[in-house]
Amino acid sequence: MNYLFHILVMIGIYSIFIQSLNIVMGYTGLVSLSQAAFYGIGAYATALLMINFHINFFVAVPISIVVTVLLSFIVSIPSLRLKGDYFILATLGFQIIIFSILYNWIGLTRGPYGIPGIPSPQIFGFTFDDPAKFLILSTIIALLVNYILYLITSIKFGLILKSIREDEIAISTFGKNTTKFKIISFSIGVGIAAIAGSLYATYVTYIDPTSFTLNESILLVTILSIGGGGNIIGPIVGTLILILLPEFLRFLEIPDSIAANIRIMLYALVLILILIYRPQGLAGEYEPE
Amino acid sequence: MFIQLLINGLCSASFLAIAAMGFSLVYTTTNYFHFAYGAIYTSSAYLIYWFFLILRLPFILSLLLTFLIASAISLLIEQIVYKPLETRYNSSVAILISSFGVYLFIINFIAMLAGNDVKILSPGIEKTFQFGSVIVTRTQLTGVFAFLIVLISFLIFLKTKFGLLLKGYSINPNLIIALGYNPRFVRYFVFIISSILAAIASVISAFDVGFDPNIGSSVVLLSAVALIIGGVKIYESSIVGAFIIGVLRSVIIWQFSAQWVDTFVFLLLILFLLFKPSGILGKQLRVEEVR
Repeated sequence: MNYLFHILVMIGIYSIFIQSLNIVMGYTGLVSLSQAAFYGIGAYATALLMINFHINFFVAVPISIVVTVLLSFIVSIPSLRLKGDYFILATLGFQIIIFSILYNWIGLTRGPYGIPGIPSPQIFGFTFDDPAKFLILSTIIALLVNYILYLITSIKFGLILKSIREDEIAISTFGKNTTKFKIISFSIGVGIAAIAGSLYATYVTYIDPTSFTLNESILLVTILSIGGGGNIIGPIVGTLILILLPEFLRFLEIPDSIAANIRIMLYALVLILILIYRPQGLAGEYEPE
Repeated sequence: MFIQLLINGLCSASFLAIAAMGFSLVYTTTNYFHFAYGAIYTSSAYLIYWFFLILRLPFILSLLLTFLIASAISLLIEQIVYKPLETRYNSSVAILISSFGVYLFIINFIAMLAGNDVKILSPGIEKTFQFGSVIVTRTQLTGVFAFLIVLISFLIFLKTKFGLLLKGYSINPNLIIALGYNPRFVRYFVFIISSILAAIASVISAFDVGFDPNIGSSVVLLSAVALIIGGVKIYESSIVGAFIIGVLRSVIIWQFSAQWVDTFVFLLLILFLLFKPSGILGKQLRVEEVR
């Protein structure tokens, strides 16, 4: 039973994580390769705040969101002024820098040893310390994030983002500062990634840099493209595929040593087929130009 | 001490420059961010390992077979994945995303067959040469020699009529078609030459420091950084970029330690994006020139 709860918790965390890319890539049309870095910054910030300063989870998360968003300006402000592939390259560079800092700044992050013993979230004396209890927390936060995202993308703000995605020059002729909107959209995505990271850190109670690599960011782009972006449903479909495919492979009794490779190969294959035959993904709205 | 580090840095820069030339050839000509280039690079290392060390074929034959198969994989990617996407989409974003898919597929296929561990091509201790206080290995010398040959042929090639055709394609593909050239042919050529360059760089560094399934991604990333630092839309720029990275590397290793190299290299990328996005050799582009 705990195993089922575990899967459901992971679905909750990943649905938040994928939404963080969805607002940037699905709604605004910017491919970001640094979501795993922001997920990592969120996870480390929350973990370190809770361990070193004994701050409550619900206070630590807002702080780590602010920290993550401030750091994200290093990428977004210079690169979003430029046209072309520069944004992709800047996010890619940032991803590598953050991973390398997490890995090498032993004094702060303990580097490859990781951070063990992260406390579970606690509120009014109630501790979310096993999968069943954590499921309550992750589900509430996942629903909340999805709902807020649904709200802000339904109002005019969401329409402006979509129009930047479809035709940036057209919307700028209406006097909209598209760079500003892109930076806001990216910041929202980054903040959401930090929430997902905080949940992940306090759920598994141990983090190390290998969860926040470039490959993780690439996988996220892959999964969003498969599920589809630009609406709320697409990323949820993507999440289900991401979490449930390994379980399905377990049924087929593929040896563990190659199961991980087969899983990624299947994602990659599906991604290519989707791009060729169904650009909007399984349930999405956003088609890459 | 610093001179030795600098020489090592310049040697690895020249290997990187070979790989970066191939990446730049594809990026500059077709505007594809060909991330799967990293997978070609990795495959080449495993191919030479398989032919030369496992099957014990003569070195030249192994090398030729590696070139052949690397080019075949590259053409297959262009034909099966990029070509349908090129006709379907206007911009290269879909190609970039698909390129990740191709990369993940090939890398995981290799890891499944050959495992994730580091493999080494050169057995035992290598022959070294001493110049004053500086020591270089035989692989490093061979690599620099290969780099010079590649560099000279690359620069000569760019001056030939075919080189001009590539430049023309990079600026306006439709014009090339209007002049009666087959654009597919240009692309096939670019993909074949780039995969051979990847294979050369990969084989040299496999002999130098060994390899594992993930080496390709760092090479393709460094190639992209070299391209940006040097300046986009110029074929020669990535060579300049690669050497700047090489020198920066030696300085970092000298002053700090090897583990901080990535941080500083990509910091340099961000600084360039911030202050000089057109790169060192680059010229300011007009908006409509930025594809």
